[in-house]
Amino acid sequence: MNNHESALFKDKQIGFLIYLGVEAIMFSVLFATYLIFTPARQGPHPSEVFEAMSVILSSFFLLSSSGTLLAAEKGLKKNNKFKFLVWFGITLLFAFIFLGLEIREFHTFVSEGYDISVNVFMSSFYVLVGLHAAHVAFGIGWMIVLLIQYRRKIPASLFSEKHTIFSYYWHFVDVIWVFIIILVYLPYLV
Amino acid sequence: MDLSLFGITVFLPSDVLAAWVFTILMAIPIGFFVLKKQKFGLIIDYMRTTNHRKIGTLYILFGVLYFFRAGIDALFIRTQLAVPNNDFWVFQGEKYNEVFTTHGTLMIFFVAMPLLLGLMNVAVPLQIGARDLAFPFLNAVGFWLFFSGSVFFNISFFINMTPEIGWTGYAPLSTEMFTPGLDTDFYVFGLQISGLGTIFTALNLIVTIIRHRAPGMKMTRMPLFAWATLITSVLIIIAFTVLAIALYLLMFDRQFGTGFFSGTEGDPVFWQHLFWIFGHPEVYILALPAFGMFSDIISTFSKKVIFGYPVMVISIALIGFLGFMVWAHHMFTVGLGPMANTFFAITTMAIAVPTGIKVFNWLFTIRGGVIRFTIPMLFALGFIPSFVMGGVTGVMLSVSAANFQFHDTHFVVAHFHYVIIASTIFGIFAGLYYWYPKITGFVLDGKLGKWHFWLFLIGFHLTFFPMHITGLEGMPRRVYTYEVSDGVFLLNFLSTIGAFLMGISMLFFIWNVYKTHRKGEKAGNDPWDGRTLEWCVGSPAPEKTFDPMPIVKEMDPVWYAKVENRELRTTANTRPAPIETESFLPLAFALSLFLLSLGITFSWYWLAIAGGAAALGLFILRSFTDERENHYGKEDSHE
Repeated sequence: MNNHESALFKDKQIGFLIYLGVEAIMFSVLFATYLIFTPARQGPHPSEVFEAMSVILSSFFLLSSSGTLLAAEKGLKKNNKFKFLVWFGITLLFAFIFLGLEIREFHTFVSEGYDISVNVFMSSFYVLVGLHAAHVAFGIGWMIVLLIQYRRKIPASLFSEKHTIFSYYWHFVDVIWVFIIILVYLPYLV
Repeated sequence: MDLSLFGITVFLPSDVLAAWVFTILMAIPIGFFVLKKQKFGLIIDYMRTTNHRKIGTLYILFGVLYFFRAGIDALFIRTQLAVPNNDFWVFQGEKYNEVFTTHGTLMIFFVAMPLLLGLMNVAVPLQIGARDLAFPFLNAVGFWLFFSGSVFFNISFFINMTPEIGWTGYAPLSTEMFTPGLDTDFYVFGLQISGLGTIFTALNLIVTIIRHRAPGMKMTRMPLFAWATLITSVLIIIAFTVLAIALYLLMFDRQFGTGFFSGTEGDPVFWQHLFWIFGHPEVYILALPAFGMFSDIISTFSKKVIFGYPVMVISIALIGFLGFMVWAHHMFTVGLGPMANTFFAITTMAIAVPTGIKVFNWLFTIRGGVIRFTIPMLFALGFIPSFVMGGVTGVMLSVSAANFQFHDTHFVVAHFHYVIIASTIFGIFAGLYYWYPKITGFVLDGKLGKWHFWLFLIGFHLTFFPMHITGLEGMPRRVYTYEVSDGVFLLNFLSTIGAFLMGISMLFFIWNVYKTHRKGEKAGNDPWDGRTLEWCVGSPAPEKTFDPMPIVKEMDPVWYAKVENRELRTTANTRPAPIETESFLPLAFALSLFLLSLGITFSWYWLAIAGGAAALGLFILRSFTDERENHYGKEDSHE
């Protein structure tokens, strides 16, 4: 990356970090909503809805996908194509598995009768965790686009810029998930 | 009125019908003008542009357009209230609710915001020596999102589905149970889309100010408008995001059967909290940029450096900070308890301190200066006493015990019109007259400008001053009539006269614009004998500015270069400029979100899915047409 590119990259970095600040505010309002309304006075209680296994499994895949993304980044820095593609592919796979587990979890809830309009607890759960899942889905699309960009052989410095910005996004989505574990699930699972 | 068209009979109230007729009548001469003068190229150019001056011009153009629409709404309100027991046209009951809802929502979101963002877009890069906003493409996205959100909100009127929930959208009125029609959805999505655009533009402005200042333009040498823009943008980032989530929750309440703001477990007060956590900072989002503009204008036309520059910056920051701690003063009568009310009363009073400091600093800047009574300066001078009056009633309202008496009366209406019109609207007019040469290359006519200023100032005081008294007499806001025995007729009648004076003054403004362009007398780079960097570039600001780039060694560099009778110091060694491009993608992206919202509103889910898919597809297309591709991977070179 030359001076010219690194100046433009720095702009983008700061801009994207501010954008993640926007996202952080969005999620914190939703967390506040959840904390205000949970547990609800009537309808299902969180402890009868949540299942620990589903949370542990999905957490395992999403949280380790941050690690695999770091490994992919190392591969990219060392110009090791194989290493990059393998680790990046694993990240993508883990993201898919996480999203699948989320969909399965939501599906189970709904089929047990715990849908979005049952009570305010379920409502605030779905708008929060659902928005997070939407972020993961968006991240999956982003990763696929990045893979195509890699094949298109755009300038290496531009690709590494795009990759770095994505990694900020992905780690951010992970951090939000950690907060979801701590604030949404954990109080009612232990 | 029932209309029969192709065998379908629809009911249209006569005001909606009149709007259709008026719009079509206006469209004909405009279309004719475009055809005759072959302006298609220009329109296409503006649809694809990412240049900050052009985008700023678009913001201003639509802001002024909506200003007229919302202003006509205000005239309807005032005509209905002119005499007791009035039955003016259709504006009673629900129609009255509609007209004050559109007046408030349009004025805040689609008049004040775009006009301020437009002026920031035009002036801030020029003031700090940036060649454009940091992300030109994102800037276009921001504008088109504002545009499609505003169009989405406005079409509701033309299909007789105007929101009638007040600009605050209070729950439970705004939930499905009480407004089951589609009208409130137009409010929700219109604000959601345009708010998203505002967030992007604020982000863009922050990065521009942090990263793209000219060499030597330290933060401590920036003009105060740039400072105000920076702090305002931070407020936007926080406040509009909270609004976005509030609207997101309201959307779920209305569309997907949740009950956050109503029902047995939901809480209408939660909406009030979220709305005012946005809404109060929003007031400062409107006022701070005006403060910044007045600081620059007063300094220029007093031929003096602004008095107490560091204190001015600190007080802007302090107002911005305190602005987040006062939201519950809109909710004193909700019953939050004496502790909460006391806390919010004290923080509210505290805001008067930095604001007062600013007022004194403006006065001290004027003191002993060489004053020129140009139109921008007249607006600045009109602003100071008018705004102080609004500030004083603000402190009165902050007394929470007394607020139980003032709440929801015309006293509140008088207060917030005094602060918002005196700061934001006067600021916008001052800024428009001041930077008009940078936008178009012409200086607006001074004589017509004086007509505009004096009629507006007198009309403004005549409209809103009597409202203090009617409010104290107990006249409630948002009620469409009153009795003779209420004894408020004369004062209301004065208000109505004042409102029409303001309306007439705006005709002078339009005439002024027409006349100035007709005359076509080009202004030089520096028509005002200015102080800051924007006055060293061409008028109108060219697409490639600051080549060579000036080096800044002090505040007001252009002024000191003139005083010392030398050229500005310049350099060719600069940081890379933002990469401009021309693209329809921002417009297309905003359009796809428009269709998505339309689909959800009317429950045409195929359209919603198509709109959402188009938006995601455009993300991908954007990724593959990144203008940076042509600029990266080359040898290191300095331009």
